[in-house]
Amino acid sequence: MPWQRETFKKIKQIPREEHVLPGTSLCAGCGGLEALRLAAKVLGDDVVYVNAAGCFTMLAAYPFTPFKGSWLYTTMGSAPAGAQGVRDALDVLIAKGRLPQRDDLKVVVLGGDGSTYDMALSSTSGAIYRGLDFYYFCYDNEAYGNTGVQLSAATPYGARTTTSPCSLQHPAGTIQEKKDIFEIWRAHKPPYIATVAPRYPLDLAEKFARAATFTGPKLFLALSACPTGWLYDPGETPEVAKLAVETGLWPLKEAINGAVTHTYLPKRKPVEEYLKLQGRFRHLFEPTKQEEAIRHIQERVDAYWQRVTV
Amino acid sequence: MRSIRFHGRGGQGAKTASRIVGTAAFLEGLTAQDSPLYGAERRGAPVSASTRIGREPIRERGLILQPDLIIIADESLIDDSSARVLDGLSERTAVFVNTALGSEQARDRFRIPGRVTALDLTDMTLRQFGKPVALSAPLGAVACRLLGLKAESLRAAVAGELADLGLPEAVIERNLALAASCYESVPLVPVEETAGAMPAPVPLWTPVYEPPTVGSARISASANSPLHETGGWRTFRPVLVPDKCNGCWLCFVYCPDGVISMTKDDLPLIDYDHCKGCQICVQECPTKALVAEREQEGAGTWRAK
Repeated sequence: MPWQRETFKKIKQIPREEHVLPGTSLCAGCGGLEALRLAAKVLGDDVVYVNAAGCFTMLAAYPFTPFKGSWLYTTMGSAPAGAQGVRDALDVLIAKGRLPQRDDLKVVVLGGDGSTYDMALSSTSGAIYRGLDFYYFCYDNEAYGNTGVQLSAATPYGARTTTSPCSLQHPAGTIQEKKDIFEIWRAHKPPYIATVAPRYPLDLAEKFARAATFTGPKLFLALSACPTGWLYDPGETPEVAKLAVETGLWPLKEAINGAVTHTYLPKRKPVEEYLKLQGRFRHLFEPTKQEEAIRHIQERVDAYWQRVTV
Repeated sequence: MRSIRFHGRGGQGAKTASRIVGTAAFLEGLTAQDSPLYGAERRGAPVSASTRIGREPIRERGLILQPDLIIIADESLIDDSSARVLDGLSERTAVFVNTALGSEQARDRFRIPGRVTALDLTDMTLRQFGKPVALSAPLGAVACRLLGLKAESLRAAVAGELADLGLPEAVIERNLALAASCYESVPLVPVEETAGAMPAPVPLWTPVYEPPTVGSARISASANSPLHETGGWRTFRPVLVPDKCNGCWLCFVYCPDGVISMTKDDLPLIDYDHCKGCQICVQECPTKALVAEREQEGAGTWRAK
């Protein structure tokens, strides 16, 4: 029986109300903001955002905030620890009767891929281990975007960043493979993990609605197509996000108590269609086509889908 | 020595244009210095770059406060007080504006004292590339011409700088052609040499530290970001053709900044004070009811309030 959406079936069920207001200094066409805005429509206003340093620092650049609720800013490595503090404070206040239960808030960590895949990994591991009841929203733009697009542990094989340029030694750019943070989280056995992409708003909204029924650590990995770092026109953000999913490079899936379900089965276009759109992969096509590198990316995707669909 | 300050929006190529001028001057045996300033860089946010060129070694450092030449990549920046485009302007400063207006009109419209020259680089780029792309080569070409640098130096500088950015050869060729035509067609104004006198030393400013409860950023207001308008980030704005709209909500759903809301009749309503002009709605509209129009005078024009 294929995966079914239960709450969000039609585009007009997406709530009209805005919970992340305009006026932020994020780049025009930011895929991460697109995903966050859609997520916030389901999360609502009763939220404390715990924001690790990164692109999303610009969300609430002093003295402005796009949120109706609270926002706590932390270093890149300590957002889950900050979330623990907020959660504990809320729990204590409610237990003592100083805060009515109906005023309870959701705690949502906002972290970029740099903090999620690298720096905050140990404090995240601790938070999951302690069973902290929080949402972790990772906007994955596959690089340290805020500081000028440097290599992160989420940068995929073959991408060019300012610290992994294509050179004579490494004509294909990045030689590292992207860390599988989904599986790292799953190994911790949290109740809910999901990947989302902004081009699939119903899938995204459905997953946030589902996650609300679980207590404990909940991860959302949002593909955040980045016009500035990935070098394409800002208007193409949804197209890039769509091709990432349609080529199978960004599988849409969820894991409930460890059991993985793919929520969308793409027809799997060739990865070239996705790579070609972006300047960070241009060196794979010009001046000479690097067949081997492209084949490597394709084979990795094929192997993944073969493993999960058998 | 002559000092040039470039102003553009993140992604428009002001930084690269500044490098092109520095490199072109260097190739002619001059000394050159260039330094961009963009804080937490954002596509669309105001950026500036400072270039100094001269025959003697350059001892000055830092931002250019009193430029001899100001190159403005986007006329909407002039109205944006945060961009501080006309800082340090005097009657002897030459100003170039990328605008559809003529030089005289631009001087009157933007109330710039001194020497104003203008050319519609955006239009020339659109004709060469068919889409709005970075203006680094045209901006660099204009600056080189006004400074009296040779066409060959410009050519070598553009080719070198764009190759460093990893652009493919075919694109560089078209940029070279575009740079050459901008070099030819920009109306000339004289650019003066900065007088030899050293600028007066500025007293060091010592920050006063408040206790953390007062001095640290704490936002007590709720949802006040709409007070910060980002409408000036646009070069192109989405415009609705109401007859073609089928009310499908896609523009509303995909807008990253949430500046599109749907009316009761399911027609999109665009908040031009905050639309950054990313064109996602234009690209995604299935019936082509949203079209991109170049930011010009009109009802939707953003004005600093």
